[in-house]
Amino acid sequence: MKYIFFFIVSLFLAINLHAKNPVSSPTFIDIIKEIIKDDKYIFDDKNIELSVPNFADNPTQVPIFVDGKKIKNATRMILFADLNPIPEIIDMQLGKLLPVVSLNIKVAQETPIRAMILDEKGVWHIGSKNIRSFGGGCSVSSSEAMDTDYSKYLGKTKTNLFQTSSKDIHRLKASIFHPMETGLVFGNSEFYINKILVKKADEVLSEIKTFSPISQNPRFTFETIDNSKNYTIEFYDNDGNEFISESK
Amino acid sequence: MKALIFSIISFSFLFSSSFDFKLKPIKLSDNSYYFYGKKEYFSPSNGGDIANCAFIITKKSVILIDTGSSKEYGEQVKKEIRKITSKPIKYIINTHHHPDHFLGNAAFTNSDIYATEFTKNDIEQNGELYIVNLVNLIHDAMDGTRIKAPNQVLTTETLNFDNYKLKVLYMDGHTESDIVIFDENSKILYTSDLIFNKRTLTTPHANIDEWIKSLYQLEKINYSVLVPGHGIASKTKEPIKENIAYLNFLENTLKDSANKGLDIFEILSKPIPKEFEDFAMFKEEFERSIINLYPSYERNVNK
Repeated sequence: MKYIFFFIVSLFLAINLHAKNPVSSPTFIDIIKEIIKDDKYIFDDKNIELSVPNFADNPTQVPIFVDGKKIKNATRMILFADLNPIPEIIDMQLGKLLPVVSLNIKVAQETPIRAMILDEKGVWHIGSKNIRSFGGGCSVSSSEAMDTDYSKYLGKTKTNLFQTSSKDIHRLKASIFHPMETGLVFGNSEFYINKILVKKADEVLSEIKTFSPISQNPRFTFETIDNSKNYTIEFYDNDGNEFISESK
Repeated sequence: MKALIFSIISFSFLFSSSFDFKLKPIKLSDNSYYFYGKKEYFSPSNGGDIANCAFIITKKSVILIDTGSSKEYGEQVKKEIRKITSKPIKYIINTHHHPDHFLGNAAFTNSDIYATEFTKNDIEQNGELYIVNLVNLIHDAMDGTRIKAPNQVLTTETLNFDNYKLKVLYMDGHTESDIVIFDENSKILYTSDLIFNKRTLTTPHANIDEWIKSLYQLEKINYSVLVPGHGIASKTKEPIKENIAYLNFLENTLKDSANKGLDIFEILSKPIPKEFEDFAMFKEEFERSIINLYPSYERNVNK
């Protein structure tokens, strides 16, 4: 009897632990330990709006949109995809940016995606979604990289500033021509944007680490409560190039 | 006894029947018919039967316009044509390079297959990729499907097939090369995928401005029946008008959203306009179109 009781209790515990993660995956625990060590985290799909396509037809360009504005005074935001060979996508020290981002990523197969937002108390809130796709996006060479004309466009940038529906929030959309090579394709080495600085004059508003699963010719959307007419966005790649873009 | 049952079962697996498309040609005139494809996306349950193809019986032969998305589909089209006529299917036209319109080519070994240079090249270069994609989407119905590229290049404004003349219109917009066939004998217009009737337009290789231009050209033609690439045949100009309206709506949405700095998912969360509520697969195809086309509109924002 004791054993049965014990068994039922442990079964409940197991089910509960499992149920907490809305999109379970075999790699989640390992990845999260590696990124946030022993920090506390909670699954919080209520406060994090994470949008992905119903089905990602093109595994090399999967649009992702995260809106975590409900989490006040957030300090950091990290995106990762559990089953990509390179899970991490972006790591933002938010500074004066809000926990909002839009970008396109590559997926190697159907995978959960997570948006982790660190609140002011030091607890991570995790939003989860599943990306349905046939995959294969990480092991495809950037078509642009094979295009000899790429040297002409490399680093061509554009940044636009927009007013959003709320008058004290401004939206920055930045794009850059870059092949974003993962290095997973035989014969190609890693070549990707790995750092972005969002600046106002000389003041750094936010420092962002980026990783190679971001799609080629990346497009980013950020939001800020800072109220300026001009921003500078600096892109750095792992080859030591630096590209500077002024907002219009 | 057990062994007998087991052997019967394994035998039935060995000779498992191929996908049954249940094709029924729909008569358009004395000598013209079309096969109606379902207003759906590729799936194992429809076997990829999602596009229309049409045939015209002439004095000496049969002309086939498009061949569907698999060898098996092509085979069953051949069977259905055989029930009506024993004349040889000598001529095939591939209207454009999308896999739901040419992968049935493999079933026709003795036919001349006509397409534009662009379409022929794309089929030769990307054909295998299309097959891999469709195997993922429709599974078994793709069995035996191989690439059979067109062997004749379309260049003339008129085709003369055993003294049966067809007008060829070289257009674009849905892809970089869309062929429209006008049969002046029956006044039937075969528009291929420039027209989707009550089925949301697909845009993986589209140029919206060019497409709208092509539609205005089609509107001027005096036809009795229009056979679209998807959806049922129509005796009115209504499908053309609806397609123009949808493309304008799509383009305005893309431009306005890019100017306002919206995100893809903010565009997708807006309600469907009333006039397109009866389009099959609106949500799904609209999402595909926005994801695929929006980046180029974002790049062209001039502030």
